[in-house]
Amino acid sequence: MSVKKLLNKTKGDQVIWAVVMVLSLISLLAVYSSTGSLAYRSEKASSFFLLKQVMVLGLGLLIIYWVHNINYTKFAKVAVLLYFISIPLLLYTLLFGTSLNEGSRWIKLPVVNLTFQTSDLAKLALFMFLARVLSMKQAVIKDFKKGFLPVLLPMLLTCAFIAPANLSTALMLGATCSIVFYIGRVQVKHLLLLGAVGIMGVTLLFVGSKVTGIGRAKTWEKRIMDFTDRSKKDPKQEDVYQVQQAKIAIANGGVTGRGPGNSLQRNFLPHPYSDFIYSIIIEEYGLLGGAALVFFYLLFLWRSILIFKRCPFAFGAFLAVGLSITLVFQAMLNMAVNVHLVPVTGLTLPMVSMGGSSIWFTSVAIGIILSVSKYVDEMEGGKKKAGKRKIEKQEKGVVTTDSAVDDAIDEEEEEENAEIASKIFVQTGKRGTAGGVIPAGA
Amino acid sequence: MSLSIKQDIRFRVYMAFTGICLFGIAIVIKAAMIQFQEGPKLRALAKEMHTRFDTLKADRGNIYNEDGVLLSSSIPEFEVHIDFSVIDSGLFAKNIDTLAGCVANLFADKSAEIYKEEFVRAYNDGEKYYLLGRKLKYYQHEALRSFPIFNKGKGLGGFISDPKEKREAPYKTLAYRTIGIFRDSNVTGLEATYNDTLTGENGRRIVQKSTGGAWVPIEGSEVDPQNGKDIVTTLDMNIQDVAEHALLSLLQKYECLYGTCIVMEVKTGKIRTLVNLGRQTDGSYFEDFNYAMIPTEPGSTFKLVTLLSLLNDKMINVDDIVDAEGGAIRFGNRTMNDSHLGLHAMPIWKAYAESSNAAMAKLANQHYKDNPSKYIEHLTKLHLDQPTGIDLAGERRTVITKPGMTTWSNTTLPWMATGYGILISPLHTCMLYNAIANDGKMMRPYLVSSIREYGKEVKSFAPHMIEQVGDSNTIAQLRKCTRAVVTEGTGKGIESPYYTMSGKTGTAQVADKGIRYTDGVYQGSFVGYMPAEAPKYTICVVIRTKPHSAAYYGGTIAAPVFRMVADKIFSENMGAWAGPLDSFAKTNNGRLTSSMATARNYRTLLNGIKKPAPTPGDYLNQMMQMSTDSSKKMTILPAKLFRDIMPDLKGMGLKDAVYMLETCGLQVQVMGKGKVQSQSIIPGTRINKGQNVILQLS
Repeated sequence: MSVKKLLNKTKGDQVIWAVVMVLSLISLLAVYSSTGSLAYRSEKASSFFLLKQVMVLGLGLLIIYWVHNINYTKFAKVAVLLYFISIPLLLYTLLFGTSLNEGSRWIKLPVVNLTFQTSDLAKLALFMFLARVLSMKQAVIKDFKKGFLPVLLPMLLTCAFIAPANLSTALMLGATCSIVFYIGRVQVKHLLLLGAVGIMGVTLLFVGSKVTGIGRAKTWEKRIMDFTDRSKKDPKQEDVYQVQQAKIAIANGGVTGRGPGNSLQRNFLPHPYSDFIYSIIIEEYGLLGGAALVFFYLLFLWRSILIFKRCPFAFGAFLAVGLSITLVFQAMLNMAVNVHLVPVTGLTLPMVSMGGSSIWFTSVAIGIILSVSKYVDEMEGGKKKAGKRKIEKQEKGVVTTDSAVDDAIDEEEEEENAEIASKIFVQTGKRGTAGGVIPAGA
Repeated sequence: MSLSIKQDIRFRVYMAFTGICLFGIAIVIKAAMIQFQEGPKLRALAKEMHTRFDTLKADRGNIYNEDGVLLSSSIPEFEVHIDFSVIDSGLFAKNIDTLAGCVANLFADKSAEIYKEEFVRAYNDGEKYYLLGRKLKYYQHEALRSFPIFNKGKGLGGFISDPKEKREAPYKTLAYRTIGIFRDSNVTGLEATYNDTLTGENGRRIVQKSTGGAWVPIEGSEVDPQNGKDIVTTLDMNIQDVAEHALLSLLQKYECLYGTCIVMEVKTGKIRTLVNLGRQTDGSYFEDFNYAMIPTEPGSTFKLVTLLSLLNDKMINVDDIVDAEGGAIRFGNRTMNDSHLGLHAMPIWKAYAESSNAAMAKLANQHYKDNPSKYIEHLTKLHLDQPTGIDLAGERRTVITKPGMTTWSNTTLPWMATGYGILISPLHTCMLYNAIANDGKMMRPYLVSSIREYGKEVKSFAPHMIEQVGDSNTIAQLRKCTRAVVTEGTGKGIESPYYTMSGKTGTAQVADKGIRYTDGVYQGSFVGYMPAEAPKYTICVVIRTKPHSAAYYGGTIAAPVFRMVADKIFSENMGAWAGPLDSFAKTNNGRLTSSMATARNYRTLLNGIKKPAPTPGDYLNQMMQMSTDSSKKMTILPAKLFRDIMPDLKGMGLKDAVYMLETCGLQVQVMGKGKVQSQSIIPGTRINKGQNVILQLS
C-alpha cells in the first residue's frame, strides 16, 4: 500500500523513475563489489562504502522527488542566478580549490564541510541557462550575432574556466553544448566554426601549458599518447596500466559475465568503483549486462525526448532534452573510455559510479526533467478530464509563471522575441490549439 | 514558418538521438570486439603479467622490562652472495684491487691478496651465487653495498643480498626460559604467550613484473604493515641476575638436578624474577625448562595450607599445644616420622617452625578424618586445583587426590597435610605464601604489566586478586608461624642482622617420572617473604637434588639462595628503604667496619645491629662517618664535605659516590657495575666545580 502511495506521489514519467531505480540498484551492486580492496586499504568494514552509497543514493532520490515537485518554470529564474554564481565559483576553485590527486577541481563548503566539484554545478547551471536563452532566441537563432553569440558566449565562458584544471570535462561540456545548440537550431556552419575554434583553443592551451609549465599539459599529453599507442603490436609495450586492466576485465566477463561479486580485476584496476566501474559491470554481468546498461541510458534519453515533444513551451522542452542529453552523453563517454573507444577522461558514470555531490547534481538534473514531465502530464491530464475550471486555474498558473520567465529576461531583450519563443509550440504543437496559454504580456 | 521551426527542431532531436544511439551501439560492439577479438590475448596477458601480492613484513615488537631495559629485539641480518657472471669485465679489472682491499678491511679476517685471488677465481668460473658473508650486520651490509662494483647493484654489480631478521636477547641466557625464544621452529616463553601482540600484521602491495623483469609496485595498492607492539615485563634484571648466580652456586655445589627461583612482588603479584636452571649432561646448568610451572609434591611448605584450613575452620589456635609423640605417629598401616625425632608437646606454631610431620598429620587427621572432603574444599578455595593463570604459556594441571578416588586411602589425609599426595607447582606455593604476606589477598602472578606501541602505552595490566584466603586473625597467626621458622626453627640459619624475613623450609622425597622414593632424590625448598613486618617480596626457591645427595634439606640447599636474593633486594635500595649497606659497612671477623655514607643509611645499619641510632638533627641526609670514641663506643660524626678536595670513594656504592661527588659539584661519568674500584681524580687533590670525574666500578 505504501508503495502504491509512493507511486501516487511520484509524478512525472514513471519509466524515467524506473530507470533511475534500476541504475541505483546497479550502482549498489557494482560499488559493493568493487570497493572491497578500498575498504581493506582504508581499514573499513567491507560494507562501509556500500552503506555510504546507499545513503548518497537515498538522498539523491529525495532530491529528485523534491525537485520534481517544483514547477519547472521557476527554474528559469534559478538558471540565471545559478549561472552567474557558477562563474565566480569556478574562478575561485581554479585559484584556491582543493586538488584531490589531480587538478584543482574541488572546493569545500564552509559550515557543512562538504567538498564538491564546482564543474558539476557549473554544468547544471550552464544547461539550464542555455535552455532558457535558446528558447528565447529561436526567432533569431540563425543569425550569428543576434542568435548564436548569446548562446555561445556563456558556454565559452564556463568551458574556459573549467579547462585549465579539467580539460576533459570542458571538452565534454563543449561537445554536449554543441549537440544542444544543434537541437536548438543553430546553423550547422556555425557549429563547424565552433568546432574549429575549439580545436584551436585547446591546442593553444596545450602549447601554452607546455611552454610555460603551468597546468597539466603532461597529463594530457600522456593520455593522448597512451591512447594512440594502442596501435602498437606488442601489448607489453602498451604502458597504459588502467586501460589494459579495464580491457582484461571486459575480456574476463564474456557474454554472460562471471556473476555478481566475482570480479577479479577489481583488485588491479585503479578506481574500479568510479571511472572504471563499467568494466567491472561487464566483468560481472557480461556483455549482456553492459548492453543493458547502455539500453537503460538510451531509454532514459528517449523518454526525455518524449517529454520534449509533448512540452508546449520552448524552455521546458529545451530543459528536458538538454539535461538528459548531457547526462546520457557523459554516460556514453564514460563507457567509451572503458571499452577504449576514446582516451581516458576523468568522467564518472552518472548515478552508477560511487560518489557524493556529483550524484546529487545528477539528481537535481533528473528532478528538473521529471518536473517538466509532471507539468506536461498535469496539463494533458487536466485537458482530458475537460474540467474547464481546472484548465483555467492551470492556465492562470501558467500565465503567471511564464511571465516570471519574462521578468527574468534582461531588459535589453526585445519583448517580441520572448513572445515568439513562447508561442512557437503553442502555435505549432499538435495540441497547440489552447490559445489561452499565450502569455498575458504578449 | 513556425511549423517548419518545430519540425526542424524535432528532426534535429531525432538526429542527435540517433547519433547517441549509434554511439551506444559502438560501445557495445567495441566491448564485444575486446571480448572476441582481443579476448584470448588479453586473458593470456593477464596471466603472463604476473601480478602478485608482495608481503610487506611487519616488525616484531620488542620486550622491555619496567625499567625500560631491552630484553628481546629483532635485528636485521644479511646474507650476501655475488653473481660474478653479470659483472662487466672492464669494470671488474678496473676495480678488483680496490674491492678486495675494502672487503679485507671490513671483515679483517683475510688479507686483500687472498680476497682478490678468490674473487678472480670466482669471476673466471662465472660463479652466479658466490657466498660473501652470512649473518652480516646492518653496517657491514651497508658498507659492502657502497664498495666499487657492488655499488652497481644486482643487475650490474651482481650484489645479491638476502635480509633476515634475527631475534636477539641482549641478556643472552638470563631469564632465557621466561623471555623465551622466537625461531621458525620453536617459540617459547613470553615470545610465545604474547606472540599475537608482538607479531603485528604484515602489509601487502601488488607488484607487477615489468618488461625488465623487476617487480614494480603498483601505486596505491599498498596496505602498510602494522608493526608488532612492544610488551613490558615485570622482570627485574638485577634481581634476576643475582638470583641466577645464587641458585647456580648452590646447584653446582651439590650437583643438583635442577632448581628454580621465583621472586614475586607482594602487593601486586608481579613476577620480578623467574630463574629455571637444569643440569646438562656436561654438568653445566642452563635455562632448559620452566621448572617453576611443573607441579610436584611440595612437601613441608604445604603445611601452611593445613594450618590455614584449620584456622579458617576455627578448629585451632597456633598457641594451642600439640603432642608430636616423639616424632613418630602411626596412621593406619604407615608411620609418619619427623626428620628429627624427639619432639613432644609444644605449641602448634613451634611444631610448624620445627616442621614436625607427625604433629601436622595428627592435627589434620584429628579434625578432618571424618570429613576429608572438607579439607579438600579448602584446597579448591585456594585455587590449587587450577593453574595460577600466569601469562606464560606451559602451565600444567595440578593433581589433588580426592576422597572417592581409587588412589585415596585412609593414610592420604595425614600425608597430604604434610605435602604429599598432591602435585602443585613452585609458582602455586609462591602464590600461596604471597597471599599470607599480602594480608590474605591472593594475587595472580603475572609477567607483563603493559603493552606499548611506538613508545606509548596502549594497554596496561592491573594486579588481579584471586581470593581473600583468610581473615586478619588467621593471617596474623600464620605470620607468627612463618616468622618462627626463621627465628627459631628450621630456617634459623638465614636470619639477617639488617632486616627480617619469614618463610618455611620444605624437604620432600621425590617419586616422579622414573624416580622412586627409594632413589633418594629430594626436593628442598624455601619459600618466604621479606621484610617480615611489611613484606615487599615473596621469594620461592625449589631445588631438586641428585640421587642420594649429601645435602637435601630445604634449610641447607634452598634457604641460602633465598637469603642471597633477599640481601640483594634489600641492598638494591628499593622503595622506601635506605641502602645499599654493603657499600659502606662490612662485618669482618666480628668487627664492623664502615666508610662514609648518608645518615639515613647509618640509621638502617644501626637498626640492623640493634644499636640506638644517633639523631643528628639537620644532618639527616648528609654524609656521616662512623667512628669510635675513647671508650671504644661507636659514634657517628658528621663528615665534612670537602668542597674543593677530592674524596676517596673506593669501595663506595654508586649511589653514594655520585651523591657525594655531585654535592662537590663534579660531573660524574661511570664505567662498569658494582662498587667504586678506582677514580680518575686522585683523592686529596684539589677539584673545581664542573670538573669531570670518571669512576671505574668493579
